[in-house]
Amino acid sequence: MVQNHHRGCHHQDHQEIVRENKEKRPKFFINDHVDILIEILKRLDCRSLCVAASVCRLWCTIARNDSLWENLCFRHVSPPPSSLRSVVLALGGYKRLYMGCVRPVQSRLGRVRRASWARDEVQLSLSLFCVDYYERLGGGSSSNGRLVGESSPSSLMFLCKPVNV
Amino acid sequence: MKRDHQDICGADGGGYGNSSGSKGESSITSKGKLWEEDQDAGDMDELMAVLGYKVRSSDMADVAQKMEQLDMAMGTAQEDGISHLAYDTVHYNPSDLSSWVQSMLTELNNPVLPNSDSNSSKPQQHQQIVSSNQSQVYNDDSEYDLRAIPGIAAYPQPKRIKTSMETDSSSSTTEPSTQPVVLVDSQEAGVRLVHTLMACAEAVQQENLKLADALVKHIGLLAASQAGAMRKVATYFAEALARRIYGVYPQDSLHPSYTDMLQMHFYETCPYLKFAHFTSNQAILEAFATSNRVHVIDFGLKQGMQWPALMQELALRPGGPPVFRLTGIGPHQPDNTDALQQVGCKLAYLAETIGVKFEFRGFMVNSLADLEPKMLDIRPPEVETLAVNSIFELHRLLARAGGIEKVLSSIKTMKPKILTIVEEEANHNSPVFVDRFTEALHYYSSLFDSLEVSGVVPPSSQDLVMSESYLGRQICNVVACEGVERVERHETLAQWRSRMKTSGFSPAHLGSNAYKQASMLLALFAGGDGYRVEENDGCLTLGWHTRPLIATSAWQVAATE
Repeated sequence: MVQNHHRGCHHQDHQEIVRENKEKRPKFFINDHVDILIEILKRLDCRSLCVAASVCRLWCTIARNDSLWENLCFRHVSPPPSSLRSVVLALGGYKRLYMGCVRPVQSRLGRVRRASWARDEVQLSLSLFCVDYYERLGGGSSSNGRLVGESSPSSLMFLCKPVNV
Repeated sequence: MKRDHQDICGADGGGYGNSSGSKGESSITSKGKLWEEDQDAGDMDELMAVLGYKVRSSDMADVAQKMEQLDMAMGTAQEDGISHLAYDTVHYNPSDLSSWVQSMLTELNNPVLPNSDSNSSKPQQHQQIVSSNQSQVYNDDSEYDLRAIPGIAAYPQPKRIKTSMETDSSSSTTEPSTQPVVLVDSQEAGVRLVHTLMACAEAVQQENLKLADALVKHIGLLAASQAGAMRKVATYFAEALARRIYGVYPQDSLHPSYTDMLQMHFYETCPYLKFAHFTSNQAILEAFATSNRVHVIDFGLKQGMQWPALMQELALRPGGPPVFRLTGIGPHQPDNTDALQQVGCKLAYLAETIGVKFEFRGFMVNSLADLEPKMLDIRPPEVETLAVNSIFELHRLLARAGGIEKVLSSIKTMKPKILTIVEEEANHNSPVFVDRFTEALHYYSSLFDSLEVSGVVPPSSQDLVMSESYLGRQICNVVACEGVERVERHETLAQWRSRMKTSGFSPAHLGSNAYKQASMLLALFAGGDGYRVEENDGCLTLGWHTRPLIATSAWQVAATE
């Protein structure tokens, strides 16, 4: 903005212009307008959102808000049923759902994806998410199905492995 | 063939020597006849040719064996002096390794010594040494006859050395090939391995246990030369055959939690169980579409891994979740712990978390045939919709007469809306042992192949080993057990279909949703390209490349007029 004015007024002194503009225009800091910030961050993709979380404490707090990740999960599908939110939150939240299930599922299926699959991908991710939650419930007894002293259960292990793309 | 070769060498005299240089084929022009013979016979091994030796690739194994024999014979004959080999033996054409080694062996066994009094004793000594070496190597007697292996590919018969060695008929009359030989061509070894396995199965079927025993040992050696899946499969089959031969039938007395653990690892490393769960759940969901109270009877609850996904889908059903009742069936636990109840508690916790009303009951029975519908508190279909689910459980009932019929009629009296069955797609229940063996060999080879490729970064070796162990126990049961102990009586989808139809069930087609979900699930697995989901007249099969391995089918009670 300052630059435009600067270009338009050649005859005035550069310094004066800057001083004048500063006095006329209210300062705008994005951090003062958290609602706008949220609207912007809502539209980011996963990677950008993670980068944004490293900017400052405020941005970090906002980026960690689960509702942003909810948007990320359901961006390309029609709005989910309202009952979904309570289920997902109970199972660990949208961020966990996205990072653990939706993202790997979408990236794996990227090659073979068809447009109609978007909703089913999320559905599948939810199922896998639920299975993972169940497995993490553990129980500690021998009937847990795991040897004592083993690493954490990993029914999602097959998702975590890098794929030969 | 080799004899002729040697004759030619003899006829033309020496002088051929090492003139072949770097490429054996290129420099030969002097021995026209020899060269033709070679060309007709096939490729020379190129690596040996670089060293200046001409050996046919097809002869490599034999040459290797003869080298071993020579090595051994020379080693043991040293006290008697083998100097005659250095001075008196005429070496013809040493670059032709196979005939050279042959001539050396002949010389060693039948040394051409200058006439002396010790002549008569020395040959005897040599023979004795060689023959006693032979008997040391394989101390079991008779019938160790590898010619039992069918097909030339399995064991080509080399020309025998016509020495008085052959008069020792008490020891084996076969070629001294029992020494471990590292076969160069692993593909050929693979073929031999399969042939040996088949021959062993034949021997077992004919109750020729001595031969079978010898062959089993041979399998072990051959298996060592293979890599990856083939070696593992061969090892498990060899172990199972050995158990059958020695009569050491494994008791199925492992703690059920151990077998559950093995199955958990299997669940995680490959998609078969996940496929089974997801496709069955889809069929059950569609059957439950409009009900407010639902009841599922699971014939093999194990760790209950199938039900979280179903509960989650019920929770998100438009219109809210129904009341979900689960009855889990499981085996008795030796230490009286109530494993079923523990699983039920976990499921109840999950149900509460996601907001589904949940009831659980567990039943411990030794066999599904012991179940009575009265015990299960079945409510009328108007009140509650029932689904019965059986994943890899029904085939066990075929071990006892009447078992499967009783269970199927019990199911009919329960009046379920849907019955989902997942079974292995293979016929491992033939009364003829060899047929069963062959089928199982092919089936588990495919299965192990798919495990091998289950990821660019392979699953942790422990997971892989556990999964293989899980399958290995099945192999052991199919091959080594008989009668009521043989519970892994897999049958094909076609066989199950006819059985279900005659028992009064009609097929319910699995919809395209199930197919879509299964395809997506498989695409997630790193080895996804090899897995194939196929639709087979309303049933879904999951296979590895061209071989279907498991099949999901859904059934309703046939409407009677």
